[in-house]
Amino acid sequence: MSNSHQLDQLDCLGKRCPLPVIELARKISEQEIGYKVILLSDDPASAPDLVAWARMTGNSVEVLSQSSFEITKLANN
Amino acid sequence: MALPHIFEASWPDPAKLGADAKSAAILLNEAKETFASHLKVRSDEINFLGEPNLGFHLGISGLLGPASRLVYSNIDRMEVFAIADSLSDKSLIRQLQVSNTGQADFSELSANDVAVIQLCNRETGTIQSQVNLNCQSIFVDATASGTRISLPENWSTALWDSTSWAGPGGLGILAVSKKANWKNPLPHLDGRITPGPASLPLIVASALAIDSWVADEKNLAEKIAAINLEIRSFISKNIPDSDLAPHGADHLLSVSFLYVNAEQLVTALADKGFAVDSGSACNATNMQPSHVLAALGLLTQGNIRLTIHHATTFDDVTTFLETLKSTVEELRG
Repeated sequence: MSNSHQLDQLDCLGKRCPLPVIELARKISEQEIGYKVILLSDDPASAPDLVAWARMTGNSVEVLSQSSFEITKLANN
Repeated sequence: MALPHIFEASWPDPAKLGADAKSAAILLNEAKETFASHLKVRSDEINFLGEPNLGFHLGISGLLGPASRLVYSNIDRMEVFAIADSLSDKSLIRQLQVSNTGQADFSELSANDVAVIQLCNRETGTIQSQVNLNCQSIFVDATASGTRISLPENWSTALWDSTSWAGPGGLGILAVSKKANWKNPLPHLDGRITPGPASLPLIVASALAIDSWVADEKNLAEKIAAINLEIRSFISKNIPDSDLAPHGADHLLSVSFLYVNAEQLVTALADKGFAVDSGSACNATNMQPSHVLAALGLLTQGNIRLTIHHATTFDDVTTFLETLKSTVEELRG
């Protein structure tokens, strides 16, 4: 029932690959299944890499815009 | 023939008169015959290019008529993207999205289309399986496949790169089929196909290279396939969070590692004596990730791509894989 305004945010604007994905993995590692976070990243590799990361780790990513992504933790890695 | 001898025998202009020029012309013709027999085209369809990538423009733009549509895939070379970008009527451009195994669906072609087929992708080794297309003009990008994959029957123009048979760099071969409806897209006053002349010593050296490469390939293809499988199996078992591109051509392999900076990985491997390339953004001059990896839905960070050469041994591979594993672990911290 949450909307994106109430979710945690991880600001990785200006950070180059692979830092956004590393910081995201660190951020969600201590969270419960179902945890959601908005990742802000303007790195051109983030869109393809977050989708690939979600496929590889069993988590979920929704592309909200070119530089914002809603991540849902679905697996413990 | 050793390289110094090639230079000695092939300095004269084969187009001129005189004994030296005549022997140079014989060398050129012999080279053409050699390429024709390995590439399965007629020797009078063969043209040499000093800049292999110019062949994309010559091969593709030469087939485009005023109303023809250019159909290509999103894992084609950037040279193809640039040609599409230069066309003013955007309704005459169709970029196909490949499947996650790199297959482009050419089923909706019309007769007037000019299709671009990439037999093998040089970054990932992906092989295009649908190649007999229903259209008038087909440009075949054989730059990564070399002699490994034969041309589709109804090809119009085709491009090879001499490095794909371990020949010298800076030499491309553009074949223009006698049946093709091709016009030289460069300014020209006569019937020439390439601006030319390409370096005769390079042509002769490349002809020798393709002869010996094809002979070696017969004996070594099996070893290269086994090495590819060995690398894939080692990485799957021993390096977690790795993303292997689907297996295509045996001599090429691409893999990406989560949470790894590709520039650091490539540099660390180079320091340990292993030359690998990368499709990651941090390794690209334009800081963009590889369009091929993105199109295939593969991870673009921490990417390395490997070429398995004839001379590569299982011992090399074992050392490399141990080095790769420890380097990835170190970089992940």
